Amino acid sequence: MALKGLDIFKLSPKKNCKECGSPTCMAFCMKVAQGAVEIDKCPYFSDDAKAMLNEQTAPPMKTISVGEHKLGGETVLFRHEKTLVNKNLYAVCVCTGMDAAAVDAKLADLQKVDYERIGERMYVEFVFVANKQDDPAVYAELVKKAAATGRSLVLQCWDVECAKAALEVCGKDVILDGATPSNWEAMNALATEKGIALGVWAENISDLYDTVKNLEAKGNKNLVLDVTGKTAKETLANAVLVRRTAIKDGDRSFGYPSIVNVAKLAKGDAHLQTAYASMFTEKYASIIVMENMTYAQALPLYGLRQNIYTDPQKPMKVEAKIYPLNGADENSPCALTVDFALTYFLVSGELERSNQPVNLIITDASGMSVLTAWAAGKFSSSTVKKTFEELDIANKIKNRTLIIPGKVAVMKGEIQEKLPEWNVVVGPLEAVQLPKYMKDKEYEAAAAAAAAENAAKAAAGATAEVKELSFEELLETKVPKIEVVDMGVNYKGYNPESKTFVTIGERIHCIAPAIRKAMDERDPKPILERAAQQIAAGATYLDVNIGPAEKDGPERMMWAVKLLQENFNNVPLALDTANKKAIEAGIKVYNRTNGKPIVNSADAGSRISYIDLAAANDAICIALCSADGIAKDNEERMVHCDNMLERGLSLGMSSDDLWFDPLFLVVKGMQDKQMEVLEAIKMFSDKGLKSTGGLSNNSNGAPKDVRPIMDSALVAMCMMQGLTSAIVNPNDRRLMETIKSCDIFKNHVLYSDSYLDL
Amino acid sequence: MSFVPKTQPFSGKINAVTLGTGDKAIVIGGQNVLPFYTFDAAIEHAPKIGVEISDAANEWTAPGLVEFYAGCSTMADYAKKAETMEGADFIVLNFESADPNGANRSVADCVADAKAVAEAVSMPIVIMGCKNLEKDGELFAKISEALQGKNIVCMSAKQENCKTVGASVALAYGQKVGAETADDINLAKQLNIMLKKDANVPADSIVMNIGTAAVGYGFEYVASTLDRIRLAALAQSDADLQMPIIAPVSTDTWGVKESTASEADEPSWGNQEDRAIGMEVATAAANLTGGADAVIMRHPVAIATIKKFINELV
Repeated sequence: MALKGLDIFKLSPKKNCKECGSPTCMAFCMKVAQGAVEIDKCPYFSDDAKAMLNEQTAPPMKTISVGEHKLGGETVLFRHEKTLVNKNLYAVCVCTGMDAAAVDAKLADLQKVDYERIGERMYVEFVFVANKQDDPAVYAELVKKAAATGRSLVLQCWDVECAKAALEVCGKDVILDGATPSNWEAMNALATEKGIALGVWAENISDLYDTVKNLEAKGNKNLVLDVTGKTAKETLANAVLVRRTAIKDGDRSFGYPSIVNVAKLAKGDAHLQTAYASMFTEKYASIIVMENMTYAQALPLYGLRQNIYTDPQKPMKVEAKIYPLNGADENSPCALTVDFALTYFLVSGELERSNQPVNLIITDASGMSVLTAWAAGKFSSSTVKKTFEELDIANKIKNRTLIIPGKVAVMKGEIQEKLPEWNVVVGPLEAVQLPKYMKDKEYEAAAAAAAAENAAKAAAGATAEVKELSFEELLETKVPKIEVVDMGVNYKGYNPESKTFVTIGERIHCIAPAIRKAMDERDPKPILERAAQQIAAGATYLDVNIGPAEKDGPERMMWAVKLLQENFNNVPLALDTANKKAIEAGIKVYNRTNGKPIVNSADAGSRISYIDLAAANDAICIALCSADGIAKDNEERMVHCDNMLERGLSLGMSSDDLWFDPLFLVVKGMQDKQMEVLEAIKMFSDKGLKSTGGLSNNSNGAPKDVRPIMDSALVAMCMMQGLTSAIVNPNDRRLMETIKSCDIFKNHVLYSDSYLDL
Repeated sequence: MSFVPKTQPFSGKINAVTLGTGDKAIVIGGQNVLPFYTFDAAIEHAPKIGVEISDAANEWTAPGLVEFYAGCSTMADYAKKAETMEGADFIVLNFESADPNGANRSVADCVADAKAVAEAVSMPIVIMGCKNLEKDGELFAKISEALQGKNIVCMSAKQENCKTVGASVALAYGQKVGAETADDINLAKQLNIMLKKDANVPADSIVMNIGTAAVGYGFEYVASTLDRIRLAALAQSDADLQMPIIAPVSTDTWGVKESTASEADEPSWGNQEDRAIGMEVATAAANLTGGADAVIMRHPVAIATIKKFINELV
């Protein structure tokens, strides 16, 4: 079993000297546990402690390096449990006894498959050179030829003299697949002398195990297991048993990468080899040996491999660039979408179906889908503009029609403003509507209208350069006066010293069309109504999400803050937007009577500077423990937590002002990760840290009548673990009553019969 | 100390479901181990292959398909020929032309085709609809009625129409229902519960289509859904997920670029038909390795390959 960071920490020198490059010993130990750094980076760990840790922290399966390639290192049997780490690689085989011309042809052919698919180079990584004649000179000659391809080699050779000869003519990017129960000592000497990985093969799995044990006893753990049996059935059994024994039973003697030779299992039958290779991609081969690798085999097999080895928690992204479809050139119209691979495949597929030339422009949106990216500020007029500049699109394409996804019709104005020479057109809502839309050229009329509008704007004279206004000036000129309306509820006030659970009402959010409209039009009524409801229901804080608000963020936020606080007795607020300037502006007009403002939110990745913003403005900061996508485990969550804590503290923040968010995950889809989130909360709590998060995310997609039940159960479990706050819908009475009851049990509030009414 | 492999049969078991009647009837499911894990326990019923024929099969251009079906004009002709294909276990009738947004063939025409096929062949029959919920509902009901006693499968009932499809196909006419979801294990379970509870369909009259994709096109979602469903069914003995799985492969693989791009479009890729076969073979093998109890395929070479693959492994 891998050690936990905390176990390593116990043995650490606890000097916090920073010489290892980590801010604290704790952070360093977390990274060691994660495998992100070597323990040797610390000059003060005692040798005894190191030796002990090295043994205990060893993963269940070794990672074997061959040149630039990495094999093995897996920690789970199924990708959904965490992720698979090192993709299987491919080899094409040649052997002695083949005629020279055939060998040359094969070696030339295997190099023809070399292409890129979604940012990954697809090619045959290894040449598998089999020795069948036991003539050292002949074998060495063949190995020399194979080495000349520049690819790494697997030398399948059970004859010691031949192996010796072969090793003299090749480099070190080699696996010597030569150890058997009878020759392992000699082969071991050869491999260790040369410093290369040794492949082990035996007639049956039990002999294989014994041979590995023998090699390990001699100190060699740089091994690869050739699990190829006499039949496909036996080979699958070997591959599964070896992997299962290592990962499930924790027996490290089978914790090595494996080689499967499907060329041997289906000699002469390319299609059957494709079928076997597909199976062994899913079931545990590290190197798959093929007789040949044609495009008819490579396209499906590399596609499958790319899918299977995708980290389930990190979306698959395609490169941001122009994809000319159906013979598009610089005069073809452009369609824009995000870089989430599934979105790309769907949209490009439908566009191709239309048979109309079109330039599909993929913009960087961190691999999120259109709406998610928009809501997170990752797909905005600014990000689009950046893509257009970086890719130099205006100079590469002459056509000025730009079709944007129908789902982000709201961005049309902003994009038009940022890209004034383009005619921005709102496309259909769903990709399936694209073929008809393109065939009927529905965009033409809209593009003409946009062009006319642009021309009219240009004719009216370039708008005078707008001077950026200070917050005071904005407040003066752009923020409507606030009218206080009696909504029939009064905010009771909040004592920030209190230990009671802090609920942050989530209902004022721009993803709700009514709120989006109200924000756009500065219409107080819908916002005040939702605020009044939440306050009446007992919310401590109100979250104010003003959307990405790229254009008028500061005045929007100032208006919203003043509107809510002046109407509701200075109710404390969480300021929620991707526009940092807007948060700053909101804090400028914020009244702290009932508690500091909350900055919602920082993360350990691109949004880490929100901590700086909170620190500079004496605000609380929600710190989401993820960087790019969901943290893969609690070790990673804690590394993020420590990094953000370190940053906040170094900027003079109190640790009480950083509220750590473990990122609540949806049960439908991530059921097996729920306990991990709960454990993360306990870890925050054990460090004396506060925590919060969008708790109701757990029940996303569940029936309306079930959600309150799930949310209540989860909040009770979370409060037991030490959660101090949550972003919730306060109108959920069951949830609010559960929270109040838990506050009684936690002895935060003195019991009375009518505690629920308070 | 030598190595003694630990076998891991599960207490949970996949339902054994019989399709068709008579000598050619087949059983899918029934195992209590992961796919092809014969070292854990013997697998009684090998996975099966369905041969897809379509009411738009005259548009197929792959030379191998054209040659194999040469001289066939009616669906019954195609079905009869398909029955002779090496590796065929059942016949799948894809009524894609019934789509109201496409050729909009009438239900009556489709039923007539299905009847003719049923008279011409003795292998089990599986019906695929046109993906239009309303039309499919009618189509499945009418075909189930016309083919009563043949023990066919109608693919598929979805969340939106499971009550009516379940009632008409399984309850009224005793056929099997395919429960279709898209890479969503929670919904897959829910749909089975709804079919059992709301439509009174017996558990052993349900098969599943848990979502499809060609390899390279989001197949990771299919793979993980298969893994998770099988582990729930076997390790957790979840009776609501123990239905056998039929994976339509050909309808996805023949539509992707690797299969549709001509040699002129992609000169370096080589023979187009070979690529299409490769995509079909790899996707079928990946589905079977993940947990499909039957795959639906099209090309004779791909089908013969997968038959051999199955025979070697069981």
